[in-house]
Amino acid sequence: MAGWRIRIVHETGYTYESPVVESYNEARMTPRSDARQNVIASRVETSPATRAYRYTDYWGTLVTAFDLHAPHTELAVTATSVVETADPLPPVRGATWEDLADEDVRDRFAEMLEFTGYVGHDPELAEAAADLRRGLDPVEAVLAAGSWVREQLTYQPGVTGVQTSALEAWHTRTGVCQDFVHLTLLLLREMGIPARYVSGYLLPREDTDVRETVQGESHAWVEAWTGGWWGYDPTNDLEIGNRHVWVAVGRDYADVPPLKGIFSGQASSTLNVSVDMTRLA
Amino acid sequence: MPRATQKGGRKSRGTDSPLFDGYLNPDGPHRRAYDEMFSEDGEVRAPYRALHDAIATTSPEDLAARAEALDRAYLDQGITFSLSGQERPFPLDIVPRVLSASEWAKLSKGIVQRVRALEAFLADIYGDGEIVRDKVIPRRLITTCAHFHREAAGLIPPNGVRIHVAGIDVVRDEEGTFRVLEDNLRNPSGVSYVMENRRAMARVFPDLFKRQRVRAVGDYATHLLRALRRAAAPNVADPTVVVLTPGVYNSAYFEHSLLARQMGVELVEGRDLFCRDNVVYMRTTQGEERVDVIYRRIDDAFLDPLQFNPASVLGVAGVLNAARAGNVVIANAVGNGVGDDKLVYTYVPDMISYYLDEKPLIANVDTFRCWLDDERDHVLDRLDELVLKPVEGSGGYGILFGPNATREQLEEARKSILEDPRGWIAQPVVQLSTVPTKVGDRLVPRHVDLRPFAVNDGEEVFVLPGGLTRVALREGSLVVNSSQGGGSKDTWVLAGRSGEVDRELGEGGLVAATPATSRAAEHGPELTIGQQQQQQQQQAREEA
Amino acid sequence: MLARNAEALYWIGRYVERADDTARILDVSVHQLLEDATIDADRAARTLLAVLGIAAPADEVLDAWSLTEIVGYSTEQPGSIVRSVSSARENARGAREVVSSEMWECLNATWNALPERQRYARWAGPHAFFTYVEDRAAMFNGLAASTMSRDDTWRFYLLGRSVERVDMIVRLLMSRVSDRASSPGWLAVLRCAGAADTYLRTYRGAVDAARVVQFLLMDRLFPRSVFHALRQAEICLSELDSRPTQRIGAKAEALRLLGRARSELEFLRPEDLLVDLPARLTALQECITETGEAVSQQYFHTSPWVAWTAPEVV
Repeated sequence: MAGWRIRIVHETGYTYESPVVESYNEARMTPRSDARQNVIASRVETSPATRAYRYTDYWGTLVTAFDLHAPHTELAVTATSVVETADPLPPVRGATWEDLADEDVRDRFAEMLEFTGYVGHDPELAEAAADLRRGLDPVEAVLAAGSWVREQLTYQPGVTGVQTSALEAWHTRTGVCQDFVHLTLLLLREMGIPARYVSGYLLPREDTDVRETVQGESHAWVEAWTGGWWGYDPTNDLEIGNRHVWVAVGRDYADVPPLKGIFSGQASSTLNVSVDMTRLA
Repeated sequence: MPRATQKGGRKSRGTDSPLFDGYLNPDGPHRRAYDEMFSEDGEVRAPYRALHDAIATTSPEDLAARAEALDRAYLDQGITFSLSGQERPFPLDIVPRVLSASEWAKLSKGIVQRVRALEAFLADIYGDGEIVRDKVIPRRLITTCAHFHREAAGLIPPNGVRIHVAGIDVVRDEEGTFRVLEDNLRNPSGVSYVMENRRAMARVFPDLFKRQRVRAVGDYATHLLRALRRAAAPNVADPTVVVLTPGVYNSAYFEHSLLARQMGVELVEGRDLFCRDNVVYMRTTQGEERVDVIYRRIDDAFLDPLQFNPASVLGVAGVLNAARAGNVVIANAVGNGVGDDKLVYTYVPDMISYYLDEKPLIANVDTFRCWLDDERDHVLDRLDELVLKPVEGSGGYGILFGPNATREQLEEARKSILEDPRGWIAQPVVQLSTVPTKVGDRLVPRHVDLRPFAVNDGEEVFVLPGGLTRVALREGSLVVNSSQGGGSKDTWVLAGRSGEVDRELGEGGLVAATPATSRAAEHGPELTIGQQQQQQQQQAREEA
Repeated sequence: MLARNAEALYWIGRYVERADDTARILDVSVHQLLEDATIDADRAARTLLAVLGIAAPADEVLDAWSLTEIVGYSTEQPGSIVRSVSSARENARGAREVVSSEMWECLNATWNALPERQRYARWAGPHAFFTYVEDRAAMFNGLAASTMSRDDTWRFYLLGRSVERVDMIVRLLMSRVSDRASSPGWLAVLRCAGAADTYLRTYRGAVDAARVVQFLLMDRLFPRSVFHALRQAEICLSELDSRPTQRIGAKAEALRLLGRARSELEFLRPEDLLVDLPARLTALQECITETGEAVSQQYFHTSPWVAWTAPEVV
C-alpha cells in the first residue's frame, strides 16, 4: 500500500468568563518531516491575530509562541498541516538485554530511562515489569508491556485528566491514550528499555475514503530503543503507519503539550478542541 | 599563658596587648586550624604585621566604641537584616582580613581559570554537548540536575557570556592552602557588603589604613555595568540596562538597590516590565521604554511564569522567548545552576583540563560522590567523620556535620543518601582558617571563608580584589552563613609592586596639575573688635 | 522614570510633609490644652482628631497626653506621626535608586530613632518629640533641595509635598474656624504653620482672625500658604506634562483641578473670604483628594502584581 496524504485541522478554542488582557502561549502543533513522514504544509493561526514567533525546543519540536495584549474573551488557535505518511516500519531488533544494560548505552539514553512526575518509579510495577520481560527479547517485551497495559486499563475518557500520572491511572484502571502511554513507558523504563512519549494525530479508521473528512483526535504513542528507535501504539495495539502523524517527542506529556499558556487574572475559562482529519490521497 | 612567651624565644608582640589575651590557647577548639594572623610559633605573619601593630596599640574601650560606631553606621544606612521582626545591622567585625599581593595574584588567577572553564561548560551543555559525547562527564550528571533547564537550550547570548557575575567560595585548609568549596553562578550575593564594609571601616577606623596600601573595591559597579552593556545585542548602540529585584522584602534588596544606584540604572520589579512580541518594555511615566539587558536577581524558577512556575508574580511572562529571539539579554543566564550543582562541582577539574587544557590552579575540597557506588559505600562507612551536603543546598541549609551529629541524625542521613544518592556529596571536615575577631572585649580566633566576585565582560574576567569574608561568630562553628549566625569582615588585598596595581593606584588626575594659588574665600562685612567692644561697654553702662 | 518610583517619590513628599505638619499642629494644640485650663480638653481633642481624619476612641476621656499617644506615637492610627514617618521610609526603601543616599539615610535614621525619642518625650514632655520630627523634616527637605536634580524626580516629590501642604493647612484652619475672632488661639495657628514671625512683620503685630485666615490661604509670598502650595503643585504638573500643546481647556484633570482652585483664591476679594469659609475649606479638601486620584491615573499606571492562570489543555 502506498503512502497517504492527510490534512489535519486542529482547533483549540478558549472562552473566558471575563475579558482577559494579557495572555502568553506556546503551541506545539507542527509536525516535522523524517524518514516516515513528509510535511507538505503547516501553519498555526490565532484569533485574535497575533505575531507568532517560532523556535525549535530542546526536544527538536517546532514551537509557535504568541502573546496577546488587548482585552479578549475568546482565543482560538488553529493548526493546519498536510502530511504524507508511509507504511509501517518493522521493530528494530538490534540490541539484546546485555546491550541495553551496558553503561554507555544507559548513559546515552539517560533521559529516556529516568523516571519523571508522570512516569514515576513504583515497586509493584517494577515487579510486574520484571515478570513481563522474563524469557522475551527486548522487542517482544515492548509488545508484551503494551498488551499488559491494555489488560490493566479500560479506555474511558473523562476519568483521568492531563495531570494524571501513570500510577494514578493504573490505580483507577481507566485512562485515555496519554495514560496508556505513560504506563507503558513506566514498564519499559523499569525493564531498562529506553522509551519516549510521542504526541501526534491518529486517523481513526483504516477504511477512511479519500476526500472524506472525519473527526480525528490528538493521540499519543511510544517509541522504544532496542538498537534503534521504533514506534508502537499501545492504546490500539498498532504499528505506527499511514494513519499516524507525529508532532513531538519527549520524556512524558510535560515535554510535549500541544498548547500551554498563561493569562492574566482569574477568569474561568472553557475549552473546546476539535481535530478534523481529511485523507487527501 | 600565651605560647610564644612559654617558648622563650623571639617574643611575639601580638601577645602584649590585653586584646589578644589567650588567643593562642593550645587547647581551644580552633587549635587545628590555620590562623591567618599568627604562625604556629606565635609570630605575626608578614601580611598582618602592620594591622596587628595598629590594633594591638588600641585600647579595648576604643575598639568597642569603634565597633559600636560601625553598627550605628549600618543601621542608619539601612544595611540590615531582619531577625525575629527586628532590623539588626549586618554584623561587620572590626578586624579586617588580609591577603598579601602574591596570595591574591595566585587566587585570582585560579578564579579566572575556573570561570572560563565553567563558561565553556555551560556553552557546551546548552549547545552541542561535546563534553558528554566525549564521555568526560556522564550525560546523566547533566540530565539529572534539577537546574539543567531544557528551556534554555539553544538560547545563545550575543557575546557568549552566561556567567556575568560569579561568586567562587574558597576556604583555607589546615595548611593554609586555598581550596574551592563551591561555585555560585546563579545570583551570587554579598558584593554590596564588600563595598560597604570597606566604606564603613575607612570611616570608623581610618588609622588602620595608614600604614599600607589596600586595593580598592569601590569600582565594582563600573565593571558590572561594562559587562552588562557589552552583553547587549551588538546592534544596540546604547543599551538600556535594568536590575530586576523580587522586591523590598527580599533579604538582598539592599544589594539590588545599591548596584542599581551605583550603575545609575533602574531598579525594577517584575510588574514594571512586560513583554510584547518578544520585546521587553518597562512602564515609565513617559510610557513604555525598551529594555535591552536585565540583570536579574530573581531565581530561574520565578523568572518566567510561561516557562517555569505559572504561580510566580515576581517574574516577567515571556522574557525567556524574548531572550531567545535576541531582543533582550538575561544576566546571569538562565540555567546556570547546572554549573554550580555540588556534584557537578566535583567534575570542574576535569572541565578545566578538557576545555582549557590546563591544570587547576586552585584545588577542590576532596569530595565523595554518593551516586558512585564505591564512593557511596565509603561515605556510609564513615558518615560520622564527614560533612554531608545536599548538592543543591545553599545558605548552609541541610548540611550535616558527622562528628557533631546524633545517632538519629546519622541514621536519617543514611536513609536520605540511599533514597537519593544523586542528591548528596560528602567531604572531610575542613578546619577553615581563623582570623582574630572581636567577641566581647577580646579578640579570639574564628573560622572564615572567602567569596571573591568575578565579572565576565566577554573579553576579560575581572576579579574584585578581596571579596566577602564571612566569619562564624560562634566558637568552633564552621558555618559562616549570615542566616546561621555569621558575620563579615572587610577583606584587604595588599597592593604589591605589580604593574596592574600601580596603574590602579597611580592613575593621573583629571588635569595635570592644580592651579598653584587660589584666592582666599570671601567674607561678608563684620564688626571690628573695637566696634564690638564699644557695643559691649554701652551695654555694661546700661546695666550698671 | 519608572511609574512605581514616581509614585514613591510623590508619597515620600506627602508623608514627610504630613509628619511635619501633624507635629506642628499637635505641638501647638497640646500646649494650648496644657496652658489653658478653661478648655474642655476632651472636646478639643475630639475636634482635632475629626479634622485630622483620625477615629477617636469612644470610651475614653481624652486629654493632652492621650491625644499625643494617638496622633503622635500610635502605630495603629494611619494618620499618626510615627506611621507617616514609617510610610515615608517604606516608600524610600522601595525607591532607593531615585532617592539620594543622604535623603535615605536621613529618613532611615529618623525612623530608627523614633522609639528612643518617644521614650525621651514621655519623660521630658511631648514637645521634644514634635521638635525632633520638625527638625528632621526640615533636614530632609534641605537634603532633598540640595541633592536632587530638578528633573521629574524632584517634580513628583515637590508635587506630593505641596499637595499635602494644602491639605494640612486646610485641616489646621478647619480645626479653628469656630474659635472666637479675638481668641489668642489664632496666634497659635500661625505658629503651627511656622508663620507667626512673618505674619507679625507683615501685619505689624495685629493678630486678627480674618487676616490670619487670609494670610494662610491667600498670601502669595509665604511658602506655607495654600495659594503658594497650589501654585507650586500646578507648576510641577505643567512641567511634568511632556506634550503641553493644548488649545482648549486643560488636558490633564489634575492640572485643571489645581488651576481652578488656585485661581479662585487668586481672584477672590479678600473680604469675601470669610463668607462661607467652612464650605470653601471643604471644597479645597475635596479638590486635593480628586487631584491625588487624577495624578495617580495620569502617571502612576503601575500594574499591580499580575496573577497568572494556566488553563488546562488537551
